[in-house]
Amino acid sequence: MKTSHAWGGLLNEMNPSIKGLTVILGVILLSLAFDPVTVSISLIYVLSVTALFGRISWRRWLLLFVPFFIMAIGYFWTAALFPRSDLPQDSPLIFSWGPLKMTEAGFSLALSLALRTLMFSALSLMFVLTTEPVKFMFSLMQQCKLPPKLAYGILAGFRFLPLFREELRIMQQAHRMRGIWREKRNIRSMLHAFKRYSIPLLASAIRKSERVAVAMVSRGFTGGKRDFYCQLKIRPRDWMFMGIVLSGIALGYAVSFALGTLTWYGGQL
Amino acid sequence: MASWKLRDIIVLSSLSVVFAVVYLIFLQVGNVLVGFMGPMGYEVIFGIWFIVSVIAAYILRKPGAALLSETIAGTIEVLIGNVTGPILILSAFIQGLGAEAAFAAVRYRYYNTPVLMGAGVGAAVFSFAWGYFQSGFAALSTGLVLAMFIVRVISGAVIAGLLGKWISDALARTGVLRSFPIGKAAAQAAHQKQSSVKL
Repeated sequence: MKTSHAWGGLLNEMNPSIKGLTVILGVILLSLAFDPVTVSISLIYVLSVTALFGRISWRRWLLLFVPFFIMAIGYFWTAALFPRSDLPQDSPLIFSWGPLKMTEAGFSLALSLALRTLMFSALSLMFVLTTEPVKFMFSLMQQCKLPPKLAYGILAGFRFLPLFREELRIMQQAHRMRGIWREKRNIRSMLHAFKRYSIPLLASAIRKSERVAVAMVSRGFTGGKRDFYCQLKIRPRDWMFMGIVLSGIALGYAVSFALGTLTWYGGQL
Repeated sequence: MASWKLRDIIVLSSLSVVFAVVYLIFLQVGNVLVGFMGPMGYEVIFGIWFIVSVIAAYILRKPGAALLSETIAGTIEVLIGNVTGPILILSAFIQGLGAEAAFAAVRYRYYNTPVLMGAGVGAAVFSFAWGYFQSGFAALSTGLVLAMFIVRVISGAVIAGLLGKWISDALARTGVLRSFPIGKAAAQAAHQKQSSVKL
C-alpha cells in the first residue's frame, strides 16, 4: 500500500544521517519520561508522521512491530508485579493474587515502560523502512566523516550477506546428502550442529575477505581522500523535519505537564 | 585508522556481518523469552551480543578491534533491518567500549581465557549501565535489577568469553587464520612445545 500525497516520500528522501540523529535524540529525550501520557502522545505523533511523510509498506511495518508488541507485554507484567519498593505504598490496589500486588502507581509505571518499548520501535521503524542501506553508508561517509577505508570495508562485508545464505544452503544439502541430521535435541548436539555450520561459514568468510581486500588494493583503492559520484547533502528541510519530530515529543511532555501526570526520571538509582 | 590494513578491516567487517545475522536471530529469541520471563529473558542470552568483540580482538589482536567490530556489527544490523534502529549503533558502541576496556587494561599483551572472559564482563557492565537508563530499569525493584545484572555478567563471561574463544580456536585449527596474529601465536606455541620435547 502506498500513500499518494505530494509529500508522501519526504521521509524517504531525507538525509539518512540527520534522520538517524533525529531518532537517537528522540530515544534519549523519551528515556527521561516515566508516565504513560507523555509516551503515548509521542507514540501517536510519531505514527502519524510516519503515515503522512513516509512511503512504506504497512504490511512490513506490522510484521516488524508485532515482536516488539510481545516484548512490551513482557515488560509490562514484570514491571507491574515487581515494581520498585519505594513507590508510594498508599496507592490504591487494583489487583492482588497471593503475595503479588498491583497498585495504581505500579500499573501506570509499568504501562509507561511497555509504551516506551513500542515508542522506540515506532521511531526506529520510521528510520529503517525509509532508508536505503547504501545511501546510509554514503551519508555516514560524507556527513559524519566516516573514513572511506572503513565505510567501503563495511559495504564489502555487507555484500557478502547473500553469498553466506547461499553457502549455508549448500552446506545443509551436503550434510543431508551424507546422511547427517541433527541427532538429538539436547544442548550437546545443538552445540555440535552450531559448530558444523559456523566454522566452515566463518572460514570461507575470512578467505573471501582476504581476496576482496587484495582485489580492492590492486585496483588502486587507498582509502584516502576521494570525491563521490553520488553526493548526499543536508538541506534545510532535513533540519525542519528533525524539528517536526522533536517538537512532537516536546508536545507530549507539555500536554502531560498540563494534565499534571508528568513523571520525570528523578535520579532514581 | 592508518595502522589498519584494508585486509584487517574487511575481515573485521565480514565477521561482523556473520554475527550481525546471529544477533538478529537472537533478538527474536530474546523477544519471545522477554514475553514469558520479563526483562530477565534478555539477560540469560545477553552474552551472545558481545561475542564478535571477543572473536575479533582474539584473532586480530589490535587495539580497537573489539570496539570496531561490535560497532560495525551494530551498524550492519541496522542496515539489514533491525527494528531497534540507529540507537543500536550507540548501544553497540558502548558494549564494544566495555570489551575494549578489558583488553586495554592488560595493554593488549594477553589474550588468554581470563582476559577474554573479562572482555565479556566489561561489555556486560557497560551495556547494563546504558540499559539501565535506556530501558528504564529504575522502575523495577532493586532486587530484580541486581539479579538481572548478575545474570548478564555471567552470560557475558560464559557466552561471549568462553564460546567466543572456542569458536576462534576451532577456526584457527582450520588454517585460514595462519596469516593473522592468532595463527602466528598458535604456531609459536606449537614450536615451543616441540622444542621443549626435543630437550
